[in-house]
Amino acid sequence: MSEAAGTPPREPAARRVLAVASRLGRVGLGIVFLAAGVLKALDPAEFAHQMSGYGLVGPGIAAVAAPLLIAFETTLGVALLVGFSTRATSAAAAALLLFFIGLEAYGLAKGRTESCGCFGPYVQRTPGQVIAEDLLFLALAGLAFLGARARPRDPSSPPLRPSRAAAVSVIAVAVLSLGFALASPSLPIDALVTGLSVGKSLSDLGIAGKVPADGRRLVGLLDLADPGAAAVAERLNALSGQAGAPAVLVLTPSSEEEKAAFLWSAVPDFEIQAVDRAVLKRLYRRLPRFFVVDGGRVVAVLDGAPPGPEDLLSLEAS
Amino acid sequence: MRTRRLPPRLRRLVLAALLAAGGLAIAFPVRADAIRCRPMWDFSVEVDGSYPKEALFYQSDSRGKYFIDIPTCKSGLLLDLFAKRIVAVPRTLVSRVDGGLQVSDGASTGATAYAYSLDGGIIQFQAEEKKVRVVPALQRPPLTGQVSLDDLLADRAEYREGMKLYRPDAEAVAVIGKFPKPVEIEAFFATWCPHCKEYMPKFLRVMQDAKNPRIKLTLVGVPKGFGESPGPWKEHNVTGIPTIIVMIDGKEINRMGSGPGPGPEVELAETLKALR
Repeated sequence: MSEAAGTPPREPAARRVLAVASRLGRVGLGIVFLAAGVLKALDPAEFAHQMSGYGLVGPGIAAVAAPLLIAFETTLGVALLVGFSTRATSAAAAALLLFFIGLEAYGLAKGRTESCGCFGPYVQRTPGQVIAEDLLFLALAGLAFLGARARPRDPSSPPLRPSRAAAVSVIAVAVLSLGFALASPSLPIDALVTGLSVGKSLSDLGIAGKVPADGRRLVGLLDLADPGAAAVAERLNALSGQAGAPAVLVLTPSSEEEKAAFLWSAVPDFEIQAVDRAVLKRLYRRLPRFFVVDGGRVVAVLDGAPPGPEDLLSLEAS
Repeated sequence: MRTRRLPPRLRRLVLAALLAAGGLAIAFPVRADAIRCRPMWDFSVEVDGSYPKEALFYQSDSRGKYFIDIPTCKSGLLLDLFAKRIVAVPRTLVSRVDGGLQVSDGASTGATAYAYSLDGGIIQFQAEEKKVRVVPALQRPPLTGQVSLDDLLADRAEYREGMKLYRPDAEAVAVIGKFPKPVEIEAFFATWCPHCKEYMPKFLRVMQDAKNPRIKLTLVGVPKGFGESPGPWKEHNVTGIPTIIVMIDGKEINRMGSGPGPGPEVELAETLKALR
């Protein structure tokens, strides 16, 4: 049986199915990497902290590597979405996923139970769940790779090359995502990114047992091991001494040892409560952060330096 | 210039009043500078390498001042962070008030004082020929392996006091107390773990209040880095602490304690109710 002249030969059904599955796999994987990159970019410092938590790199290297990895993941996601060098990008994605699986398995073997930070600090999963998820993504990468390889090419057509527009857009995404990851800590997006906002109750924030529900309090979130913590304490001490100022309570993710060292050196005139870091992390991107609680609800969030009496008085007036 | 003298009777009266005031001042020292202190269970007092149960660390209502009570010392010890010294306070100037202490701070001038040094969160000094360290409770050498409840409570004030403070849900405790089948509970915890310090006293209070003789509780203290060291926690695949394993007829029914949730009594009661 011969094909009619001028009619392209029909692809076998299996190949067509593979082509569709490959495209779906590529797009799905692209969305996953893009989401992972963008969510991590909202809080790159936390991602660096999670990286160093595996014990393979120190905090210094992690701080440099985190924005680079964020930019790489975002770029990879966009490249997969636009179909830029599908074989190369799907192979790179598979390699990265294999690395993540190995890292999680290593963490699991070491007794690590903390979340991996794969989708930033606001998505919590166990290492086992992460490995299962990454295996699924690896299958998507495999599909994308196989589909790209299996696609028949007309020998008369020019060799497949990524379009210039696609190449430029991928490079632009790489530059922009790196820029966003570096600038993100300074951007005023805390209210959008964290769970702390006006109107939330102490239960919503997960700190019901730590902050008394009655009365008006200034609550500070503070890293006691931070070199600037003593200066913050001095300001809060001055505030505690002011007539009419609300009671001050500091919540800290710091360890008991750090808390003790802070007690002896900064001599705080306010109560300090240690809170599980996983709970507190949902309330901040950078420390210190302050908010006022009245009757068990947040009535004001004050980012930046500790508020002075005048700030609190203006809150009272409003 | 003529001075007017007081009549002899009035002079005698004034003299008697002055003498009486002096006598009273000696018998009852002035408490104008008295500070109130309450125990701070987050810290343990180490004396010559051991942790006497009665040696306690107190937080005061005066900023920067803490009181260290070591019964084997002749005097109480007042830590003054601003003056950077520890002052010996005669026991006569310390009285027990509402579960805490009242310490006269006025007699500190001229009293024996000791220098102290800081090592991270640890305060160390030498007083009355005793080497004293005030150590954050979580930094003490951990209790590892199987430990009885009595030994744990005798050794760890923060657990003892945490149990006293917790008020479990009475209904849930009643469910646990009346559960008819034998239950085995293995509790893996660590004396160095802050989450255990909050959770375990609550759980132990529930066990104490439930008074169910059919529940057999085994407490196992895990060491730091337990993921890499052999022990019963490996056999039970314990990856986080505290982990409370509930077993019936040798079969694991539930694990509690690793994540946020209701009080331990509510979770345990729900588990047991589901088995009825």
